[in-house]
Amino acid sequence: MQDFPERQSLEEGLAPFLSKRGTELSVSREGVRRLARELDRTERETMAELLLRDVWPERFSRCRGAFTAQALARLLSARVVVAGCGGLGGHVTELLARLGVGSLSLCDPDRFEESNLNRQHFCTEKTLGAFKAEACRDGVLDIASYMDVQAHVVALDDDNLPDLLRGADAVMDCLDSIARKKMLERAARNAGVPCVQASVARNEGLCLFDRTLERPFSAVYPGEEAGNVEGAPMNTHALTVAGTACLMASLLVRWLCRNKDDGGALFHLDLSVPELEKLTLFP
Amino acid sequence: MSILIKLSTTLRDLVPGYDPETGLLVTPKEEESSLTAGELARRIGIPHEEIKIVMVNGRQSGLESPVRDGDRVAYFPAVGGG
Repeated sequence: MQDFPERQSLEEGLAPFLSKRGTELSVSREGVRRLARELDRTERETMAELLLRDVWPERFSRCRGAFTAQALARLLSARVVVAGCGGLGGHVTELLARLGVGSLSLCDPDRFEESNLNRQHFCTEKTLGAFKAEACRDGVLDIASYMDVQAHVVALDDDNLPDLLRGADAVMDCLDSIARKKMLERAARNAGVPCVQASVARNEGLCLFDRTLERPFSAVYPGEEAGNVEGAPMNTHALTVAGTACLMASLLVRWLCRNKDDGGALFHLDLSVPELEKLTLFP
Repeated sequence: MSILIKLSTTLRDLVPGYDPETGLLVTPKEEESSLTAGELARRIGIPHEEIKIVMVNGRQSGLESPVRDGDRVAYFPAVGGG
């Protein structure tokens, strides 16, 4: 494999595909693709290398100032499992794709139905009846075709979770019952995979990411196995799932890019007020 | 002096007229100087079995935790939706 060119060579070789805003240098999608072909690298690898030379893929150019080039390069190399592709999961999936996370494993056994239209990101009248995991995969590939995205039409359980979590940098808990969330956090702990957790109901979302406790969600809900597993639907809407998904994605990015978790914090988003509280768990 | 109570999601259904923007202000009686979070919940009609998380002044507590004038007490039910 050829060495990756340094910035001066890139400026000359990619000249037709470069644009400048002040001192900020960006390269178009076509330029990235051409360079990837020339160097026999994937588009993801090529974009990460470009970022490390402060040449920003145009698709990320408006992230300047909010993210460093190194942080974006890290996200491009990350693999994240999204457990549940419904309300939270659909929005989380879309956000991670736009943030530049390079690889996603999307897990959900269900199909979109009409009652999902009020909140689930990739649920449209055209995708009703489609498997959620597959519709989310197709949706993110429309946003970022360079991504490595796997759709798993499966109900997560103790048997399949070890394989699905193997090698992941993190898992996003977007499941819809306390019992299943406890199962996921147990499997994630066993696999050594950080787990960003959230749950929603009505106008409110709760979000936590605690690396200090073995099973933080179980510590919040001790002995609560039934939750809303069956028969007690937790109604909610687009604002709640979108806002809570943003919290989840921001906690993930802090971990992946800055190695920071939020041990001991429970974020409570209440959109009926609206307000965001950072509460203290297990003081 | 009073205690500010904040209720989450389905617990709001148990207190008619509850306004999430203002919460619920409760003034303890003189003889209630040693009130607990659990006693306060019962006083406004919330069964203990409905409460899964208690926060006193933003810190996780329990139904047995004492509450005092000026405290902000938040009660959460089980929230498991995705």
